[in-house]
Amino acid sequence: MVRIRFHGRGGQGAKTAARLVATAAFLEGWMAQDSPLYGAERRGAPMTAFARLDRAPIRERGMIARPDLVVVADDSLLADPAAHVGDGVEADTVVFVNSEQAVTQLLERAPCPGRLLTGDLTGLVLAQLGKAGALSGPLGAVAARLVGLSETNLRTALVMELGELGLPVPVIEQNLSMAHACFELVQPVPLRQNGDRPGQPASLRTPTYEPPTSGTARISALANVTVRKTGGWRTFRPVLDPEKCIGCWMCYLHCPDGAVRMTGATHPLIDYDHCKGCLLCVEECPTLALISEREAGLVRRSS
Amino acid sequence: MTMSGELLTGNLAAAWGARLAEVDYVPAFPITPQTEIVETLAGWCERGDLAARFVTMDSEHSMMTAAGAAAAAGARVFTATSSQGLLYAFEVLYTVAGWRVPLVLVNVSRALAAPITLESDHNDVLAARDSGFLQIHAETCQEVLDSILIAYRIAEDQRVCLPAIVNMDGFYLSFTREPVSRPEPDRVRAFLPPYRPSHLGFKASRPQALGVAVLNSVGYSHFRYQMHLAAMNALAVHQEAADDFARLFGRRYDLVDGYRLEDAEDVLVMSNAFATKGKAAVAAARARGRRVGLLRLRVIRPWPSAAITQALKGRRTVAVLDQNLAPGLGGILYQEVAATLGGEPDRPRALCSFVGGLGGRNIAEGEFEAIFARMAEAGERGRGVGPILLYTEEDRRQMDQWVTIAGNR
Repeated sequence: MVRIRFHGRGGQGAKTAARLVATAAFLEGWMAQDSPLYGAERRGAPMTAFARLDRAPIRERGMIARPDLVVVADDSLLADPAAHVGDGVEADTVVFVNSEQAVTQLLERAPCPGRLLTGDLTGLVLAQLGKAGALSGPLGAVAARLVGLSETNLRTALVMELGELGLPVPVIEQNLSMAHACFELVQPVPLRQNGDRPGQPASLRTPTYEPPTSGTARISALANVTVRKTGGWRTFRPVLDPEKCIGCWMCYLHCPDGAVRMTGATHPLIDYDHCKGCLLCVEECPTLALISEREAGLVRRSS
Repeated sequence: MTMSGELLTGNLAAAWGARLAEVDYVPAFPITPQTEIVETLAGWCERGDLAARFVTMDSEHSMMTAAGAAAAAGARVFTATSSQGLLYAFEVLYTVAGWRVPLVLVNVSRALAAPITLESDHNDVLAARDSGFLQIHAETCQEVLDSILIAYRIAEDQRVCLPAIVNMDGFYLSFTREPVSRPEPDRVRAFLPPYRPSHLGFKASRPQALGVAVLNSVGYSHFRYQMHLAAMNALAVHQEAADDFARLFGRRYDLVDGYRLEDAEDVLVMSNAFATKGKAAVAAARARGRRVGLLRLRVIRPWPSAAITQALKGRRTVAVLDQNLAPGLGGILYQEVAATLGGEPDRPRALCSFVGGLGGRNIAEGEFEAIFARMAEAGERGRGVGPILLYTEEDRRQMDQWVTIAGNR
């Protein structure tokens, strides 16, 4: 069995990527299973999705604790402890990270025990679409390629899955073209296939009664919104061009996280510690005074 | 699609079950993780792929009332809910079961508040176990689809005439895609003919009242016990339906599902999607020399006492792994299994109770191994253990951390 775990942020397309690789494998005659895990949905929050591929019926369910292949939708997830990218990753686990940086640079920032590979899928999407978009097609294509699935079956899977999402034909065609580029970008790798490990009985302990303070679900601490910085969720940031801003407050009204403040003057001030990079403000700005900037590099909004 | 089927989530499989049953009426209210079922049906009804009336209601209470009323009018009715939604419909579950009207309700199991979570355990569906609804609990997405068709066959049978719940686990089935073979519509019609009840339906020229007041205890006892007899009839009707289903579709469903039972000295009893993991753990433990097996409870109402006794008598140890908790008692299904075996002369030497998977908590292979070890000890000692919660040192550490962050230490 090949166990693939995708790490992404809400809205990046990791769930659909898992569906793509499962469908491609299923078309190729494998048994396949996929599932996402995201709790209370929130755009930008770390989430995971899983795909299992096997020649025999699959007798596992839910989360994958010991993956054979990990696909990471952006390198900021490596340094985020809440993303748990490294859980169950061992020396022979293949870890593909969507990043502009080379493996050595990445390793300096965030140690990763697995066999690390990188490629700039975001750059590919920007070149193809002219703007930031979901990464589901490229992430699914990279996974399919690394596992050794055929491009033909991946293409069929893309048409099926993206069509089911209701994406227009030109976008699906762009994804087919990006999938081809992904097949050039990486080569199939030999993946370890974890057999079941000899079972070590878990050590069970009996819970004891606790007082209501710790025995009931309650929060006594002050709100930690100032401490918990969500700026690290951002892969693109909104940047203001003050000359074009007319002070209409649309960005302030649309920000779902209250990360835009209106200053005493009329201009908005963006709290980058808590802006998670959803870019709703960029979409809504009527004068194009807000542009989106890749966290490493500058891209103008196309319109 | 091809013979090998297609990848469907449990939710899509449920929607296909309703579509292939050619239901007439779908009253709906959304709740995670069930929403995808009614969204899909809404789309099909709008596009004309399914010739059913789809109505969004203001709550699950109204939804179940509408479902029961439409069934009383002779329509084939499908609806779905989950967790708090099932509880909100609770009063009406008992009411429509008392009307003796057949309909199928899919429950996508999700643990109950408080505290709030989205993932699965079975306190929701088991709370409804005494309502008069039949209950079929599915292990796979395929079984979700197939069980909906089987549930209509049983519920609509003149010997039964009771509503049915088909249960699946939230996330572990509802959001998980796996291969599902979709039955041919013509064969489904052969298995489940159009619903033409002679005793139901409203005519202005011939008014009737259903579910009337019976203000005397003799009448009440009579009608309530009729519900019990109808539910018991469902055991035999299920077997007939299962035989026909196997003949037409090649997939066999029994009241209970035994795995590696032939020479098992110790048997673990489970239900729903985690039984897949239990079966894998049994296979792994067998490879290491343990003679263990698994019994999955599939039909939970009516309770298949004879099939359970047949599968479990003469074993050394039987353990029930409940994915539910009755505070102040323990696991719910353990009580029912223990009561079933209590009167059996050849009962197992030890009965054990484990509770795990609450709120969808994963059950690791090592935890199954710990269960098998405890079962072997209990069998040698001749005395059972439990209830034992699957709770580890790692769980303890995580809780300590969260309680501290929450400011409660």
